[in-house]
Amino acid sequence: MISEKRATFPGGVHVPDNKYLAEKKPIEIMPAPEKVYVSLSQHIGKPSEATVSVGDRVKKGQLIGKEAGFISANVYSGVSGTVTEIKTISTPLNTATYVVIQNDGLEEEEFLPPIDKEDSQAIMQRVRDAGLVGLGGAGFPTYVKMATDEKIDVVLINGAECEPYLTCDHRMMLEHGDGVVKGAKYIAKALNCQTVIIGIEENKPDAIEKLGAYDGVKVVPLKKKYPQGSEKQLIYACTKRAVQPGKLPASKGVCVFNVQTAFQVYEAVEFNRPLYQRVMTVTGKGIKEPKNLLVRNGTPYAEIIAYCGGLTDNAAKVIAGGPMMGKILTSVDGYTRKTDSGLLVEDVTEVCITEPSPCINCGRCAKACPMHLMPMYIDLYTQTGNFERADSYGATNCFECGTCAYVCPAKRDLVGSVQLCKRKLRELRS
Amino acid sequence: MQKLIISNTPHIKSKSSTKRIMIDVLIALVPATVMGVVYFGLYALLLVALSILSCIASEVIYLLIRGEKFKDILNKFDFTSAVTGLLLGLNLPANCPWYIPLLGGVFAVIVVKMLFGGTGKNFVNPAIAARVFLLISFAEAMTTWAVPSVGAIKTSTVATGATALGSVIKGERVISNLDLFLGTGVSSGALGETCKIALIVGYVYLLIRKVVDYKPLIYIGVTGLMTVVLQGSFSAFLPSVLSGGLMLGAIFMATDYVTTPNTTVGNIVYFVALGLLTALLRHLKGTEVVSYCILLMNFFVPLIDRFIVPKPFGYQKPKKEAKNG
Ligand code: SF4
Ligand code: SF4
Repeated sequence: MISEKRATFPGGVHVPDNKYLAEKKPIEIMPAPEKVYVSLSQHIGKPSEATVSVGDRVKKGQLIGKEAGFISANVYSGVSGTVTEIKTISTPLNTATYVVIQNDGLEEEEFLPPIDKEDSQAIMQRVRDAGLVGLGGAGFPTYVKMATDEKIDVVLINGAECEPYLTCDHRMMLEHGDGVVKGAKYIAKALNCQTVIIGIEENKPDAIEKLGAYDGVKVVPLKKKYPQGSEKQLIYACTKRAVQPGKLPASKGVCVFNVQTAFQVYEAVEFNRPLYQRVMTVTGKGIKEPKNLLVRNGTPYAEIIAYCGGLTDNAAKVIAGGPMMGKILTSVDGYTRKTDSGLLVEDVTEVCITEPSPCINCGRCAKACPMHLMPMYIDLYTQTGNFERADSYGATNCFECGTCAYVCPAKRDLVGSVQLCKRKLRELRS
Repeated sequence: MQKLIISNTPHIKSKSSTKRIMIDVLIALVPATVMGVVYFGLYALLLVALSILSCIASEVIYLLIRGEKFKDILNKFDFTSAVTGLLLGLNLPANCPWYIPLLGGVFAVIVVKMLFGGTGKNFVNPAIAARVFLLISFAEAMTTWAVPSVGAIKTSTVATGATALGSVIKGERVISNLDLFLGTGVSSGALGETCKIALIVGYVYLLIRKVVDYKPLIYIGVTGLMTVVLQGSFSAFLPSVLSGGLMLGAIFMATDYVTTPNTTVGNIVYFVALGLLTALLRHLKGTEVVSYCILLMNFFVPLIDRFIVPKPFGYQKPKKEAKNG
């Protein structure tokens, strides 16, 4: 079923999406690399503990990192081969323990045991065992999200994909819509919830039509506006429920899952496949052949770039994720994680190198902020060292979506100020 | 491949920039300037040019004295002082002495803007503050209004101390609405404010460029309605809206980003208050007060911004929680 009205949220900004670079490219399976470097810390929470030792032989789908505590997640090997090293590696994104596996190319598999697909408890346990985390980018363990005491009456699947450039969720819905819908229904079953809503931005009419044809799910077309896919904004658009600052969506009876998370739930429940691969978009004008790729967890970024034809001469900036919230990479020495929805290479025509100038008080940032904060004052008071005052304008409610900095004519680093303010407040208040 | 650029999120930015906005304002003022020259002659153009020059030169010299390199000043130049200069020029009587825009420019940029920290830091609009400063210092020269006449300036027909507004406010309808609208006939006034249609063209341009929004209309509308109430006659609406510096002030000066509140609600409060104040003071004083009103309301902007802060998305008053939750 497709809902009639286009839904949205107050605030936000229209950002040119540049999705044309990759949206027509079907998902391609990237051959497994010679070596994978699997981080044991690719989720929010405690790093998992290695369950293998150097010299061990592992199969594809075998557990290599066990969750350590409640907020943590299992990690699985994406290839069959031999563990050659377990060591601490510093990448541009973090410093963590990595399990390095030499791929033997045999693709021997060892998946999880089958479960009773009708049993909600069993599905819940499966989500936990399979190492599922939020694949939209946050990386919060899916199981923890589902283990809420609140009564959930809406399972909301996030197909907004409001980040410009990225197209992997779009391709996923088109090519694996069936799995996405089934996965969403498994989640609903595990939560004893009747309603499944899928929110999709209207720039993906084919996906809206495709998923709208399934029974038992309601597709809500969303206005194309950034950040439409952020949790609270999506919930408001689809259900008109406003989650209070500092509260979880579950407090309003809603749980939100990315389309790829839903798909991985389906894979884990029906095919017993744990999470060791995902689809990511490799795009930007700095990359020769933009693609949507199915990659194994732990694939070196450099190999992905090489597989996509390499960088163009004008490549200027490499980003893990999308352009609005993605993390800047100081070099291409990194390895894919569960949360990598994209690898974006901007060329010189796409980057903005204008130096920040003084704020002209135009109020555009406040008007666009989806959280209704006042970024210009957060910036002003953070820069003058008055962090408590900055917080009175909402610094801690900011989720760093970058909308304010995008619209700012003075090109101020508003997100940077928020980050600094949050860090200082943590120090002050601890 | 070149060296990778490292910077914070977001990695794409909108095309807007301070410079672009200021250039848009300059473009939007071109019709008014042209009409000013058509009505008042080439001397008007000289006044405007001197005013702009004085403002830009003041900024550059100030920064040079502060020890900045000329190249950096050029790179940083954001056209705000050009806008200040043009606005100041358009607010002058078309026949005032040449040194008036020079002094006004220095005052606007050095005293009102740079001493407070430059772009974005001034808490009153420099052009308005300078106009008020000139009105006080050179009362006579600043209130001797030339009457527009296509072609050359006719200093012989000046009506000292009274703009068209005076008669309009007193209800003596000596000027037709059409004359007020076009700035023709005997509707004297500052050189940029008489031709309303030119100002409206500029406004439409700014609307299209999304530099300003509907809010100047609040100011203009409230002034008109309040005048209707004060005079008890609906026929007072159009003349009050079309006369004096209201349109120039509402569209181009009251909307100055730096000196307006930062929230939508705050802005509505500000523009409504401006409208009420303008109508009231006009009624009481019988002369043009738009500049004074904007200057006065500028002082209240920090206060408005202090007390009108939006609640974060999803905020509920703690008490209501149980009911809505
Ligand atoms: S980054 Fe923070 S302050 Fe800026 S728009 Fe997003 S939520 Fe608002
Ligand atoms: S958008 Fe930029 S210039 Fe405008 S008020 Fe916000 S911080 Fe200041």
